[in-house]
Amino acid sequence: MALLRLEGVCKAYPGGQAALVDVGFSVAAGELVFLTGHSGAGKSTLLKLLHLAERPDRGAVLVEERNLAAVRGRDVARYRRRLGVVFQDHRLLPDWSLHDNVALPLRLAGIAEAEVGPRVREVLARVGLGDRLAARPPQLSTGEQQRAGIARAVVGRPLLLLADEPTGNLDPQLAAEIMGLFLELPERGTTVLVASHDLALIKRTRRRTLVLHAGRLVDDIAAADLAA
Amino acid sequence: MSATRQRPAAERRRIYAGSGTAAWGRGHARAFAFALARWRAAPLASAATTAVLGLALLLPLLFGLALANATRLAGTLEASREISLFLAMDRDGSDAEALALRLRARPDVAAVALRSPEQGLAEFRRMSDLADSLDLLDGNPLPWVLVVTPDGEPAPLARALAAEPGIETVQYDAAWRARLDAWLDLARRVLWLLAALLAAGALLVVGNTVRLDLGGRREEIALLQLLGAEDADIRRPLLWLGLLHGLGGAVLALAGAALAALLLAAPLAALAASYGGGLALQGPGAGGIGATLAAGAALGWLGARVAAGHYLRTSRPADR
Repeated sequence: MALLRLEGVCKAYPGGQAALVDVGFSVAAGELVFLTGHSGAGKSTLLKLLHLAERPDRGAVLVEERNLAAVRGRDVARYRRRLGVVFQDHRLLPDWSLHDNVALPLRLAGIAEAEVGPRVREVLARVGLGDRLAARPPQLSTGEQQRAGIARAVVGRPLLLLADEPTGNLDPQLAAEIMGLFLELPERGTTVLVASHDLALIKRTRRRTLVLHAGRLVDDIAAADLAA
Repeated sequence: MSATRQRPAAERRRIYAGSGTAAWGRGHARAFAFALARWRAAPLASAATTAVLGLALLLPLLFGLALANATRLAGTLEASREISLFLAMDRDGSDAEALALRLRARPDVAAVALRSPEQGLAEFRRMSDLADSLDLLDGNPLPWVLVVTPDGEPAPLARALAAEPGIETVQYDAAWRARLDAWLDLARRVLWLLAALLAAGALLVVGNTVRLDLGGRREEIALLQLLGAEDADIRRPLLWLGLLHGLGGAVLALAGAALAALLLAAPLAALAASYGGGLALQGPGAGGIGATLAAGAALGWLGARVAAGHYLRTSRPADR
């Protein structure tokens, strides 16, 4: 079953510049898919449509066969609580401790505090930040902040994880570690969509890859073809 | 999706929705803690907002207390005001005694005192500079007078007594009472107007505080929205913040009123004594304290609600 399906999606920003043109594809539940292309190809716009920061001008975006055009008002928040989002610029709250930053999705979901602590500690340990619970984001390196952003995105065991250039600022070894974390997620029931222009990383990871160019989906490469 | 990957619906509901009332309670507990933290993050600005709210509540509170005490004092003065009955000149002491006896039997009469023409003349001598002139009179021109203390409303009694035979004049200043009532009524309306204006000011003060707080946390709120915070999640700490300001302002206003009462009690008692009455300054009482706290809390909550509502309506363009 397709968890995510796009049909003829078009999006243009004010000024007339087309960000997405007639984009259509589907992603099965539990799949990890890369989204690649040059800067301005439409990767970030596509992710924004998926977490409802933007709306398409035409076409349909369906998650679990539900058209997101029908998701309005309070349902937007409920839908977003089912997502995990890794932002390119981390977007951690600088005045909050690492623990509180990562706990945020759980607290928004109303999870009991007795359950929040262990889960935050567990996920921070998995990203190698188990000993930095009380640190504030400005005290962390760029790589640590990125890992903290990933921890926040996965702590709620999301249905769909959207990651925008999650390894953009990391050295190759750290990038490989982060991808290792993402590869575990489908086994835990999370579908993952990673926007990246790091072709070397994509080839190493060997997962299905969607190629965008000037807002159009120009290629849909199966994992097997990447390996070849 | 495979069976092992599919998360049971019950677990998903628990993860994403929490457990009803418990999640709601946790949300409020966290919001309250967050509001306290916001208050402490800018203690001077927070104290200033609370103080302005306190003043906005103190002014109508003091005015209301003054009005309540004035009404009570007026009531005391009215109750003690006597009706003077001047008998016709052809009526003598026995007529006056008979009339007094009849009047004392009335249920609306508390007491009747007799004043003879001689007593009246002596009193007149003491109270005026005309003592020498009085000596020139051939006789005593004053009639017998009955001083009636009403038991209840004096006006109907005065009207009834005017119909009694042998009474020449009934002296009861109804106009004075009507004027006093009019003043008190006007003061009550001014109080409501003042309270409404100050309440509007208090709403603006809290609203502005919340607006500034929101302005400084624009990115944080945008992130919370992206991570799935509902309007209620964002609004809740702000409502608690408004409530804290409002309750703090109410406590300050009550403390200010208590201080004012402490300072004014002695001179007011002396003033009342000079009018022949005793007056213990009355405070707001349990009801008044409760009403002040409720008014403060309501103003703080409402100000925060309006400001947060306006911000949230304009900050989710893609959500609607």
